[in-house]
Amino acid sequence: MKPLRIIHLFPELLNLYADQGNIAVLRDRALRRGWPVDVRQVRLGETLDLAGVDIILLGGGSDREQEVVARALPMYRPDLAHAADAGLPILAVCGGYQLLGEYYELASGERITGLRLVDVATRAGGTRLIGNVAVERLTPSGQGTGETVVGFENHVGRTHHEYPAFGRVLRGHGNNGEDGLEGLCHKGIVATYIHGPLLPKNPHVADQLLRTALRRRGLDRPLAPLDDTFEWAAHKSVLQMLGLSDGGSVRERLVRS
Amino acid sequence: MTSRGPMGNDRMGKVCVILAVLSARATAFALRLLGRRATSMPGLVALRLCPGLLGHLLRQLDAFVVVTGTNGKTTTVALLHAILDGQDQPWIFNDGGANLTQGLVSALLPYTAVSGALRHRRALLEVDEATLPGIVRLRAPTLLVVTNVLRDQLDRYGEVDHALACLRAGVRDASTTLVANADDPLCASLGLGRDLTYYFGIADAPQDGVARSEARDGAFCLQCGAELEYTRFVFAQMGDYRCPAGHFARPERHVAGSLPASDAGRLGVSERLSGSRPVDRFDLPLTVAGLYNVYNLLAAVTAARVLGYSPARIERGLGFYRAPTGRMQTVCETPRVVLSLIKNPAGATAVLRAIEADAVDKTVCFVINDADADGRDVSWLWDIDLESFVPRAKCAVWWCAGTRGPDMALRLAYAGVERSAITVVAQLDLVPGHVMHSGEPVYVLSTYTALHALSDMFAVQRGRAV
Repeated sequence: MKPLRIIHLFPELLNLYADQGNIAVLRDRALRRGWPVDVRQVRLGETLDLAGVDIILLGGGSDREQEVVARALPMYRPDLAHAADAGLPILAVCGGYQLLGEYYELASGERITGLRLVDVATRAGGTRLIGNVAVERLTPSGQGTGETVVGFENHVGRTHHEYPAFGRVLRGHGNNGEDGLEGLCHKGIVATYIHGPLLPKNPHVADQLLRTALRRRGLDRPLAPLDDTFEWAAHKSVLQMLGLSDGGSVRERLVRS
Repeated sequence: MTSRGPMGNDRMGKVCVILAVLSARATAFALRLLGRRATSMPGLVALRLCPGLLGHLLRQLDAFVVVTGTNGKTTTVALLHAILDGQDQPWIFNDGGANLTQGLVSALLPYTAVSGALRHRRALLEVDEATLPGIVRLRAPTLLVVTNVLRDQLDRYGEVDHALACLRAGVRDASTTLVANADDPLCASLGLGRDLTYYFGIADAPQDGVARSEARDGAFCLQCGAELEYTRFVFAQMGDYRCPAGHFARPERHVAGSLPASDAGRLGVSERLSGSRPVDRFDLPLTVAGLYNVYNLLAAVTAARVLGYSPARIERGLGFYRAPTGRMQTVCETPRVVLSLIKNPAGATAVLRAIEADAVDKTVCFVINDADADGRDVSWLWDIDLESFVPRAKCAVWWCAGTRGPDMALRLAYAGVERSAITVVAQLDLVPGHVMHSGEPVYVLSTYTALHALSDMFAVQRGRAV
């Protein structure tokens, strides 16, 4: 099998929340199933060749770093917009989520233009939305799935959009602290404020990205189950910390599937 | 500077000071009766009653030395206190790292008369970066030492940029002498455009030739955003760097350390405090373990030199140094148990490097809590360079504990530790029994809130062994 090709965009600038942990999980879960993996880092200013790419990751940075990235985004936009339209899996976390959208409006009113892959606007709020977070995954039509996703959020930006959300907030703030929704799912894009990093404690989200990538290659088959005892122990410990103790049933359902 | 009352010189102000001092004393007494440490609570009580008390006390000082920065504050204060303190010149200091406003007041209170007058007029205080701007507004430090500026508990202070903004506010007063780390671009940038700045750094260190992956913060020019070019890395973002466009480069070191090739050697120091003076050379005992601690030692030595202490006096003073709680502290001798605080990726990676240098078979235990003082966001665990540590650790059994023990276990699995070799211990008080069982040397790495409890528990074990 041709190696699974993962691109980590601008890791030298967008790595505030240990986003290389997400790469490690995707690589590990592919390798454990016998698929070779090829991870490429694309630094700011370097050319981005999307031919044969299976998954893209975009992490978060500080405000200063995100401004540096935003200035260089126009050169990447046409290719990325084309790929996103064609359903390429893109995982964008925190600042990366904001950069996928139309703009990020600073407290001063200044607007940092994003990649404009999705019609999403983010505005700086008065307070930081910080803390452990747990959400229930939603279907594209907005139905609860019973699957939980846990992690940590830390953002000033309030994000609004009309797309299906990644999840419904069980504990924490989510997109804007108001509408009870967290993240965004559109075509292959999974965008979220949840870090921690996201994928180690949420192996089902990692597998969803891998499954989408394989489906795009015409390989539509279930993934071999892995021993995820440590993963779910860490997941469950966060649920318990947040007073959501029915994590066990969710976990068993996932292990069976 | 004249000493002003906390609310002007009126009687109400004096009454308020007296009440605050008496209440704080009662609180400290009660805490000690209960067997608890009185490093913060007395100050909190005093500040409630008299919010102006800290300024009132600080303004009475003749010498006010502040140590701040992300890592190494407590060790640097302990080293500098060992050097400065003497019978002829007693210095007040905040032992134990209580570095927020209430901790500073608590440190000064034992030397405060009921009238509010300070008995000693020299203070050496460790101050948290976020607390610094408020302190500097009350009283500009005579000397300010900044150890480094690294990625820390992100959820507490936002981001590195916020820490940097706090530090900039701290160095604004032109009468303050700044001692800063030349090898750290973020820290060195604090001295741009200001006089009375002395830089320390490491000129020579043996290289291990292992390619490491570490989080490097601020490896970008603050003026043009270009990535800094490095000709040498020491650890994290520390090394020899320059902006490719020429905006910024590592400043000349006023005090430069050279590490010996063997552990038994001494630290070579070359010093040039002013351009007109010839370079002085002397050497000092390496009283600390780990490369990161050499930076702390150099920070303390530079501060002492700037304050006029001779190399001989510094050497004598270093003989009094004892590692503070959990700073590579040996908490038990048989088996040897070394306890070390970890709180951010650069610090933890530096501690791992020091542990790796101890090439014996060992047991390693991580205790990770996520209370406010630890950092509630544990994503930093993924920025620690465990990948290069695990194959060199000579460790067959790994333990994890704390509220985030399961997160750490997962992190170790991803760093290449066999899952069957990792055990999560649910209760903290079971940790000493488990980790000491094999009789091998043990390294315990712990976040802040478990540190003192662990130190006490191992002390009890030590008592049993005797």
